[in-house]
Amino acid sequence: MTSISPLNSVHLAGDHGNSKNKNTDEIINIKEIKNLKIFQIVKFKKNKKNIENYKLSGLNFPNKLRVSENNDVRILWIGPNNWLALSGTSSLSEVIAKSLSNDEFAITDLSHSKAIIELSGKNIKEVLKKGCPINFNDINKNEVVNSIFNGIAVTLDFINDQPEKIRVMCLRSFGESLYHSVTDASLEFGYKAI
Amino acid sequence: MLYIKCPHCGLRSQNEFAYGGDASVKRPELNKEISDQEWDEFVYLRKSPRGKHLELWHHVSGCRQWIKVLRDTSTHEIFNTYKSEEKVG
Repeated sequence: MTSISPLNSVHLAGDHGNSKNKNTDEIINIKEIKNLKIFQIVKFKKNKKNIENYKLSGLNFPNKLRVSENNDVRILWIGPNNWLALSGTSSLSEVIAKSLSNDEFAITDLSHSKAIIELSGKNIKEVLKKGCPINFNDINKNEVVNSIFNGIAVTLDFINDQPEKIRVMCLRSFGESLYHSVTDASLEFGYKAI
Repeated sequence: MLYIKCPHCGLRSQNEFAYGGDASVKRPELNKEISDQEWDEFVYLRKSPRGKHLELWHHVSGCRQWIKVLRDTSTHEIFNTYKSEEKVG
């Protein structure tokens, strides 16, 4: 089966907006992240064991607003007893099946249900501030927040501080709308779609 | 614009929340025989106090948890927020 990425018809590579005569770090770099394996992991209420007793790919499940990562997997906290596991490797479902029981956790494959935009560049927080009400000064590398961007529910994954890199995730069906909102907010800085 | 401190996520804008009504209303016990009058009061009758009011809010664009908020309806001051299962003293 051929998979079509959520932003296939809107993400057009090239320079856009006010990007002429600007250094590469001054403009916004926008990349679609595709073909990630994404699983939602929810600990059942009836499961009274402490979450610290569980590991996934050698990683602890992160506490609130935090991220755990290694070379294979990135685990995001998205709510109480609720995490997203992301991986570029196709074996994530087997790794999860080895570590976690279906009797103790609700595990859902969301691999094709998310649109993911990765922003990098020194002005990306200024772009996101235009549509998102969170205080970006309080958030550092390897932290995650659920919020809204121009009315669309998004998960912001702070990948890196230096240089700044943030992944914006939303439901697939909102992907094109989110992409238009983010690129519209990026025009004044100029953006390069990669 | 209100800023509400979600007990799970911290201080967030009201834009991320949906109002869920009076948090002090209790549903009649399951399988208990109650009158139409009591159902009517449970479903429709609400106080509209001026002053402190315990409310339900849903952090719908955040952690998706229901929380309780003790808020002054005239000044909009928020005194405290609680997890849904927490008892408010």
